[in-house]
Amino acid sequence: MGEAIVITSGKGGVGKTTTTANLGTALALQGKKVCLIDTDIGLRNLDVILGLENRIIYDLVDVIEGRCKVQQALVKDKRFEDGLFLLPAAQTTDKNAINPEQMKTLVNELKRDYDYILIDCPAGIEQGFKNAIAGADRAIVVTTPEISAVRDADRIIGLLEQEDIEPPKLIINRIRRHLMTNGDALDVNDITTHLSIDLLGIVLDDESVITSSNKGEPVVMDPANPAALGYRNIARRILGESVPLMSLAAGKPGFFGKLKSIFVR
Amino acid sequence: MTKQQYVTIKGTKDGLVLRLDDKCAYSDMIAELRRKVEEDGLEGLAEVQVHTGSRYCNEEELREIMNTIHDSPNLRVSKIQSDVITMEECNRKVLENQSETYVGIVRSGQVVQAVGDLVVIGDVNPNGRVVAAGSIYVLGRLKGIAHAGSSGNAKAVIAASWLEATHLIIADKMETMTDELTILSEQPEMECAYLHPNGFIAIDRLQELRILRPGLSSFKGGS
Repeated sequence: MGEAIVITSGKGGVGKTTTTANLGTALALQGKKVCLIDTDIGLRNLDVILGLENRIIYDLVDVIEGRCKVQQALVKDKRFEDGLFLLPAAQTTDKNAINPEQMKTLVNELKRDYDYILIDCPAGIEQGFKNAIAGADRAIVVTTPEISAVRDADRIIGLLEQEDIEPPKLIINRIRRHLMTNGDALDVNDITTHLSIDLLGIVLDDESVITSSNKGEPVVMDPANPAALGYRNIARRILGESVPLMSLAAGKPGFFGKLKSIFVR
Repeated sequence: MTKQQYVTIKGTKDGLVLRLDDKCAYSDMIAELRRKVEEDGLEGLAEVQVHTGSRYCNEEELREIMNTIHDSPNLRVSKIQSDVITMEECNRKVLENQSETYVGIVRSGQVVQAVGDLVVIGDVNPNGRVVAAGSIYVLGRLKGIAHAGSSGNAKAVIAASWLEATHLIIADKMETMTDELTILSEQPEMECAYLHPNGFIAIDRLQELRILRPGLSSFKGGS
């Protein structure tokens, strides 16, 4: 019996979809059987980021409305041997096409065959959000070190705490190291104190996240990338390992730092 | 006089007291009251207190008593006193006087309401709202909106271990915590807000509450 995790944030553009794609990939890299569900009906993106756009035949709404079986709609990522699947969202309708009860049934069905079900939640707190959290056992809240994103995360956590799911965990995404160490952005401690939930991990901002998304290849595939390291650590923590939080202040050398240290010696 | 008096008028140092018998039938009492009021040869305007004893009068009956007395041009009712209240009223009074405790964080968009005082153990985050008919005490950081004395009690206060609220409301007076109010940004720790006699919300150290609102303390004894 697998576990369903919803990835949500309230605010748009903080990296829910990117996080879903990368965590799903990272878990698949660890040998787990993973199914990703895109619930952003009408504004689907997860398929694009995974590079699976042109393999979609059926979608979430087709499954819910009984036009096909779940197995028919699942898109297999060929980079992984039966490890990563995507249930894409429909693009031609909207969030009201499905309801929480139907989502719950679907997720419970998928939990029988997969180790992890990652549900990509749309922005907002309306129908789409309610659908996305309906079948989840756990929740991950993604935020960025911006006050607006933190405020929305607070609202979302409040809503999640009223649901019958485990206390949500936090990911702080798109951290720009120099802004945070200079004190120009909210720091990790400020955010966790304000939201007072457990921190699952932090992810550094990196340009290659954008370029790799555009290529349809999640950044986590590149082990040398600093953002990828954040995602890999989070995936390991989801699997129950205890991985220390990467330090920002001392400055994990990073790629160029390491290169420099070789010459400077 | 063989007949017992249902309505007695007494003069006390607080003025006239109309004592209405609580054993007889209501109709007999009101009939006698009407007679008494008409025959009374008073001059000028006198204020009377009405005591209904252990008789429970509903609002309609109370209005009838008032109207009967006001039929006389010389009498005005200053207050009506009774030894009994309904269970409903009693329960409401108990609720109003007790304090409710909320343990947890009041997050953005959440509203926590209390009929009496409200004690929050945890933070009130921005855009979170705490409302109480009585006073509000926050053991944590108050960074959202607090409304004390929501049903008009101007004596209610808002106290917090860390007062950083965006909006403070006491009774119907609202104060937004703008940059002009430097007191909060300088010293937000252990502060309280209260309605100053000048009509504005004032903020002071928590320790001053003892002097500002001595009535808040319900604790008896101690040494």
